[in-house]
Amino acid sequence: MKISYNWLKRYIDLKLSSEELKDKMTFTGIEVEAVEELGKELRQIKIAQVVKFEQHPNAEKLSICQVDDGTEIKQVICGSPNCKNNIKVAFAGIGTQLKDFKIKKAKLRGEVSFGMLCSEDELGISDDHDGIMILPKDAPIGTDLASYLGIEDTCYDVEITPNRPDLLGIIGVARDLSALLKLPLTLPESNLNESNEPIENYLSLENKVSKLCTRYTARMIKNVEIKESPDWLKKQLISVGLRPINNVVDVTNYVMMEFGHPLHAFDYSLINGKKIIVRNAKENEKFPALDEVTYKLKKDDIVIADEERAIALAGVIGGENSHITSKTTDIVIEAANFLYSSIRKTAGRMKISTDSSYRFERDITDEVAELTSMRACKLILDIAGGELLKGKLDSFPSKKDLRKVSIRPSRVKKILSIDIPSKQIIDYLTALGIIFIKEAKDNLEFEIPYYRKDLTREIDLIEEVIRLNGYNNVPTFLKSQNVMNIPVFYARRKVEDILINYGFSEVINWNFGDPNDLDKFNINKDDRRRNFAELKNPLGESFSIMRSMLLPSLLKNALYNINHGQKNIRIFELKKVFTRKDEKLATEKLHLSGLLCGELDPVYWKDKPKQIEFYDVKGIMEDILAELKVENCEYQISDEPFYQPGMGATVVIDGKIIASLGKIDPKIAAKYEVDIPIFVFDIDLDAIFAMDLFHDPVFENIPKFPLVLRDISFVISKEYKYADIIETIQKVGRNSISKIVLFDEFAGKNIKEGFHSLTFSLVFNSDTKTLTDEYINNILKKVIKKLKNSYNAEMR
Amino acid sequence: MKEELNKVVISAKTEINNANSMHDLMQLKSKYAGKKSILNNFMQKIGSLSKEERPAFGQTLNIAKNQIIQMIADQEEKIKELDYNKTLKSESIDLTMPGRKRAKGSLHPITKIWREIEDIFMSMGFEVAEGPDVEDEFHNFDALNTPQDHPARELSDTFYLDDDVLLRTQTSTVQIRTMEKHSLPIKIISPGSCYRNENDASHSPMFHQVEALLVDEGVSFTDLRDMLNIFVKKMFGDKIEFRIRPHFFPFTEPSAEIDIICVKCYGEGCNLCKGSGWLELGGAGMVHPNVLEKLGIDSEKYTGYAFGLGMDRIAMLKYKIPDMRLLFENDIRFLKQFS
Repeated sequence: MKISYNWLKRYIDLKLSSEELKDKMTFTGIEVEAVEELGKELRQIKIAQVVKFEQHPNAEKLSICQVDDGTEIKQVICGSPNCKNNIKVAFAGIGTQLKDFKIKKAKLRGEVSFGMLCSEDELGISDDHDGIMILPKDAPIGTDLASYLGIEDTCYDVEITPNRPDLLGIIGVARDLSALLKLPLTLPESNLNESNEPIENYLSLENKVSKLCTRYTARMIKNVEIKESPDWLKKQLISVGLRPINNVVDVTNYVMMEFGHPLHAFDYSLINGKKIIVRNAKENEKFPALDEVTYKLKKDDIVIADEERAIALAGVIGGENSHITSKTTDIVIEAANFLYSSIRKTAGRMKISTDSSYRFERDITDEVAELTSMRACKLILDIAGGELLKGKLDSFPSKKDLRKVSIRPSRVKKILSIDIPSKQIIDYLTALGIIFIKEAKDNLEFEIPYYRKDLTREIDLIEEVIRLNGYNNVPTFLKSQNVMNIPVFYARRKVEDILINYGFSEVINWNFGDPNDLDKFNINKDDRRRNFAELKNPLGESFSIMRSMLLPSLLKNALYNINHGQKNIRIFELKKVFTRKDEKLATEKLHLSGLLCGELDPVYWKDKPKQIEFYDVKGIMEDILAELKVENCEYQISDEPFYQPGMGATVVIDGKIIASLGKIDPKIAAKYEVDIPIFVFDIDLDAIFAMDLFHDPVFENIPKFPLVLRDISFVISKEYKYADIIETIQKVGRNSISKIVLFDEFAGKNIKEGFHSLTFSLVFNSDTKTLTDEYINNILKKVIKKLKNSYNAEMR
Repeated sequence: MKEELNKVVISAKTEINNANSMHDLMQLKSKYAGKKSILNNFMQKIGSLSKEERPAFGQTLNIAKNQIIQMIADQEEKIKELDYNKTLKSESIDLTMPGRKRAKGSLHPITKIWREIEDIFMSMGFEVAEGPDVEDEFHNFDALNTPQDHPARELSDTFYLDDDVLLRTQTSTVQIRTMEKHSLPIKIISPGSCYRNENDASHSPMFHQVEALLVDEGVSFTDLRDMLNIFVKKMFGDKIEFRIRPHFFPFTEPSAEIDIICVKCYGEGCNLCKGSGWLELGGAGMVHPNVLEKLGIDSEKYTGYAFGLGMDRIAMLKYKIPDMRLLFENDIRFLKQFS
């Protein structure tokens, strides 16, 4: 629904900026979806005078005008027939941004134009596009059109929640704001001067559907003059996006916007039989509506009819056969209410959404009908003249008493946790128009006004209290603790889970260690791991230090299990290791170590058994590091003394060793009486966690263009490392090769000693275009050339 | 020309019906209905006919073309059906043969319990705190209100690295460290390894313990009982009741020991609970004002509870593990039982 700032000001004395008002509405529960500054375009338009008018030499329909906009004289080419000398015009200079276009310097048939003289249509003031807008003689030159016309307002598009039909009118919003801002609310006048002639002499009413039409009132005014509405009314309607039509229709729309309750006006002369009948439609009854569509009705629809035909589809749309025209003199004003579900059904089925159906669908109030009727009649009498007949026709089948609801201050405290004194509660609620009746011990009784159907019990009143007190004025007590590092916490679990999916069993050993293990592992005398955290009173020598590495324990676990008949062993341990030199306590670091031996996977009848090799361990390491978000690490030959020479690697990132992996030197394994190949890895988890690598994934566009696969195969000396080869290919195909997959390595038959054949699958992909064969071939050529030059690679 | 056309249709029909692969059929499609097909040749010949003959022949030609296209479509369906049936025949399996599996690993039973405890407490708003295994006397004893001459401090009970550096004997040390570092309120658990200088059938010199600590305004004995109740039910099931008995710990007052109904006999009395129907689970109590005051916390404003549980013992009870030594032997046949 649209609300304008100036309109609100008719009821409360707002002194807020348009931005402040937006905030206030939002925090009173009226969500502002859009704000539009009206008159923004018109502010660029200047009132100017045509000071010289000539016929264009090369075009019959164009004229050359010299225009004074208060600062200088400008030449403008105009094509309008009503343009002439000395008139005041709406001038748009170069650079003016109108709704659909921007004014630029232009040449028309050889003559330069430095702007445009605008029509009302181009300015969005009216539909008039017959000629340029001509302003009154006294319009001051140089003034902007917005301030001259007084079209300066802010329009808010607000979302009204379904529980608050009372906010469907601007008065309702003003009432909430008046309570929130503690400003008095001024309601519009509606005292009526009636003539002596009773309405019953002219019109009768029959409500045949008292369950569906819960209120129907009709008033009648004779001898009105249908004409254009006064400026203030037109402006006000335009400010909320309504199109002015004529004075009577404009008043019904205006009052609907005020009270949120739709009205309808009939031409009395078109009501056959001088009787209004509210009834169900007949099945397939035809109804010609105001939107020039003839609708086929169903039995469930409600119509307003005369003795012969339907003249309005109740609550949804008026009839083509009875609406106000320029010839109308006597009018009937309908203010009614209908069962919301019925209106919703009818409007929904016919796919009509009018300002009227929008409101009737939201369960508005029977009582407001009377208010709006009186207000509309008062305005029509003021604007269109005429005589209001005495009395009204009124069907109000099920009038109810006002509801009484009590609120306990103790309950308010219980729900909101803050103390709001009784007096404050009373002030808040009465500001909303809720009537205070009496106070007893911990009990305040209120009478709910008819327009607040949503307030049915105590908790509803408590909501009103907190709304006015301010949701954000309720304190919070709980603090967010910051004890744990959540990403690290879950990373630990994820790493464990990865290993379990690789078939590893977790072991837990005592953290006590044997210093002799470091000798057996050939650990250097000056190695940091020899800074033992030594116990003064150990259980024995083999438990005399806190472990500084986990691998010896794992090797002992392997031996235990081999001795108990196990061959395929995969175990890991995630525990702290300890060193202590000058520090008072110890340096404790979380390590993850693993050990594998035997066959790769459980024996499967279709596959050949495969012994674990280095690359299996490397794959596991790569998986774990990827989970820990370690990127750009390098695998280098390890100088750890316990790996078989050439079969151990350290993982280095930014020059820092974070892990190692490889095959245990058989000589060392033999010291533990293990005589089968043993592969291990060891990761310094704390070192990785300290790098703070965890981050949320960020979406990347999914490639729009198809990817293309190409294979290349070449023989190359084994002295060149895979990592270097990949880097070379990547460099050449930087913008188009998105992935390089090694899928075959082969040595032996037909291939020179010391050489091997490598086959790569290259994935070509571009973000910006479909790659052509020609383009890809060209890149492949470059890749091949580079491989030849750098590595003497021979293509196969 | 009409006769010629008829012949073409008849030969097309035979050829199409004989086609038994998609490849053959597609070739026939281009032969008869493609751009350079026989039918298109007829189309070009229409020009040579008289004006009167043209419409009739055009119509005939169109019908012939549609016929052929329809025949091709029908044959395509047939070939697809044949191919499908071939696939069904060739791809038969013995679905009773074993499927391809990867090796399956397992978490250590203590880690399983460890995670379960973390999850229970984290779902109740606790955070997990950690601290060093190698501790000083202050955090392990002094701050926890343990008197200088307390027997627990003796060499026979505690592993020492130096006179005042030791292996923590409980993870309550982490509570002290957390309260030193973070502002109140504090709601944490601290799981971890602890050490005591004893080694027999029912004691391991290294064991795993979790402590829970809540310090805030208005924390009461009821809150302690509530949390114990929730924990016991979530860990052991709704049938398992708990009770607390008065006891002594230097760092809590009032102090209590926690028992649960025997998980094996549900209170009937058995060898696990030595006939009592109850199993001891750990210690609990309200944080001693001395402990709070030593950390500069206003013990009038703040109160707190703490309790400690043995995770190894919970694992043994929950998984019915009869001997503590099994937990640290790391026999794969044992470990795999917890996958």
